[in-house]
Amino acid sequence: MGNAERVREFVEAFGSLKAEVQKIIVGYDTVISDVLAGLFAGGHILLEGVPGLGKTLLIKTLAEGLELSFSRIQFTPDLMPADIIGTNIILEDAEGRRHFQFQRGPIFGHILLADEVNRATPKTQSALLEGMQEGTVTVSGASHLLPSPFFVLATQNPIEMEGTYPLPEAQLDRFLFKLRVTYPALDELNEIIDRTTRSGVAEVRRVMTGPEVLRFRELVREVPIAAHVRELASLIVMATHPTWEHSPDVTRRFVRYGSSPRGAQALVLGGKVRALAEGRYNVSLEDLRAVAQPALRHRIILNFEGEAEGVDVDTLIGQVLEQAEAQSRQGKEVFLR
Amino acid sequence: MTDSGVLERLVEQVGWQIRKRRAEFYGLRGLFYGACLGLVPLLLKEAIGPVAPLIALGLALVGATAGALVGFWLRLSRQDVARIADRAFDLRDRVATALEWRSRPDRSPLVDLLVADVVGRIEGLDGRHATRRILPPELRLLPLPVFLLVVVALAPAIPLPTGRLPTFSSAEDSETPEERGAKILAEERSTAAKREPLQRAELLERNVAVRQGGTGSSQPGDLSALFKDTALAAQRPDFNSFLKKGDERLRMLEQVDRLPDLKRDFTQSPYKMVFQKKKELFGGLRPDQLSPQKLRELLEEMDRMGRKGGNWGGDTWEGLEALEQGQTDRALEAMEKALSKMRAMEERGRGGRGLRGGREEDRRGARGRDRGAGGDSIEADLGEGEGLLPGKGRNPNPKGDATERLRATPYDAGVEGESRSGRKEGHDTNLLGKGGRLPSRLQYMGVFGQYRKMMEEALAREQVPRDYQTQVKEYFDSLEER
Repeated sequence: MGNAERVREFVEAFGSLKAEVQKIIVGYDTVISDVLAGLFAGGHILLEGVPGLGKTLLIKTLAEGLELSFSRIQFTPDLMPADIIGTNIILEDAEGRRHFQFQRGPIFGHILLADEVNRATPKTQSALLEGMQEGTVTVSGASHLLPSPFFVLATQNPIEMEGTYPLPEAQLDRFLFKLRVTYPALDELNEIIDRTTRSGVAEVRRVMTGPEVLRFRELVREVPIAAHVRELASLIVMATHPTWEHSPDVTRRFVRYGSSPRGAQALVLGGKVRALAEGRYNVSLEDLRAVAQPALRHRIILNFEGEAEGVDVDTLIGQVLEQAEAQSRQGKEVFLR
Repeated sequence: MTDSGVLERLVEQVGWQIRKRRAEFYGLRGLFYGACLGLVPLLLKEAIGPVAPLIALGLALVGATAGALVGFWLRLSRQDVARIADRAFDLRDRVATALEWRSRPDRSPLVDLLVADVVGRIEGLDGRHATRRILPPELRLLPLPVFLLVVVALAPAIPLPTGRLPTFSSAEDSETPEERGAKILAEERSTAAKREPLQRAELLERNVAVRQGGTGSSQPGDLSALFKDTALAAQRPDFNSFLKKGDERLRMLEQVDRLPDLKRDFTQSPYKMVFQKKKELFGGLRPDQLSPQKLRELLEEMDRMGRKGGNWGGDTWEGLEALEQGQTDRALEAMEKALSKMRAMEERGRGGRGLRGGREEDRRGARGRDRGAGGDSIEADLGEGEGLLPGKGRNPNPKGDATERLRATPYDAGVEGESRSGRKEGHDTNLLGKGGRLPSRLQYMGVFGQYRKMMEEALAREQVPRDYQTQVKEYFDSLEER
């Protein structure tokens, strides 16, 4: 198969999967695109939104569109790591000898929905760390390989903070994107009412298999990126650090910790998927601008001043982006700016 | 043409366009500075001659040409050209990426597709300009030097200075320098002979005493008489003697250590005045020998002073009442109380107040007990809303007075708060343990800064709910305002 065909196939697959999800989910065009970007970039997605906006439905629908195994874990305060990973149980064989056998937990699925992930204790949340980063889980000294592709989609509720455990920074950093699911617009709400209150539910077709997802992931990584685009990604990430000498005032004033290098990786990978989905063979500056907020909003930790002032991280990222672009132009002759 | 050839041609074309635009930009800039420089030969055209306008024109043209050449030959990398082409033709960084990746050894299979894609898009471009014309900011000012060039070129030549001072003809100018020097020397000698020698301070004092007619109020060494002498004009009406007297006063002023304390006369405190009068009134007499009339006058004067802001009005009134009943002892006691309050008020006014803790209060209490009734607490007379804490009452220092620093290692065991009784606002803090026996090394604001930092760190760690964050911040802001 030629490269042009591979790209064309990707564009079609991306479009058809999105269309299948949109049979059920009304609106949220950008959110769906970003979820698919996470799938094809090999990352994991955290969806944040108030209850009733269809976060869980979106993920379930996506899983229906893929020929992949799907697990759902409802996170609660009494959930234990073994409930996610699995545990060793004693089995008796035909000869009456007893031995331990590893009983796999729900994490052993291609698509894992971690619903209301911030309701479990940090210990339980951390059970996902190894699986998300390395694709393995270790129990009693034995490592178990997770199925590939392994794609975690977690949801959390920004209100009702009582009895919740905010995700630790290390856990947050492992999510490629954090997507904000907002209220639908009026016409979208009308469409939701129409679709959900009439008889007959749209059927979602399976349009992609696991190996296809893996192949597309390979293709995404082949997309070239120019040096100045890559440099802008680095500048954006550096500009989120208050200790960097060229960081903007807004960062110095309101940010406690900036993004890790994973933020820059997320920017570039997200940009590659976006470019390829549009049928382009290169990452542009516009791609970075488009994915900056979902890639960085959970990696920037505000300080007390920022929290007290109610600083919106997305607005802050916008200012950081402007500053980074100005920084990349700085010192250049007028015709090159 | 190959794909690479098309890409190269695009870069060359765009590069040429950029160079032309740069030549325009820097040429105009050079013209401005050349025109400014051209003003110089025109201003000097009297010395330069008729070629000055040509030189000015030449400088302007040289400036423009040099600018254009510099602009044209300025360094321009292929990557920069590619980026400008991408921006100009909305190619979304395709040209820059293709140009960078086409020759890389680790190129991916998609790069070929990218190059082909770029070439296809380039061929669709119909020779559009990649760069727009950018005009230098100096262009707005260019008419000014050009106008000046024209004006100065048409105007008559400005006469240049000759380097000689103008001659002022007079009879004295006929003198030779030697004669003039000798004359000046002679004048100086005669002036020195007329000038009185400097007199010593003792002599001056003696002279002053004689002139004053021996009033007896001035002691030897006390120069205040000299400065109180207001009848100078009457004694020496002529101007020369007035100047001489002025000189003498100036010499006196140089002897700083012997100047009278004039300021003291005007800043005599009410307490000192009353105390002096009381001393004169007593004059070694026993209380029963005192004149009731003079005692009444003194009490009335103190009462008048008390009405201007003092807090001893009650005591003086009690004293006057006792005097009317013939109880001199009670009147004297009341006067003593009023006097002690005057002194306390003066001390407060002079020294200010700082944080007063429980131990200080205890000490004051002990002193008060030693003195008997005369040791009443001064806070007892503070009004509603007043107190000795920082920012309260009449203490002008909003942070309170700095605590004294001593070389000691504080091991503060704890801090205990204690509400002060009565209607006053206030809260005393008492240090307990070893720290209580040592003075504080840190000032209030220093400690507060540390606490605020610790609070911020704690809040950052503890995830304060959003609803409470504003409240916490406002609380610390309110503390800072003090």
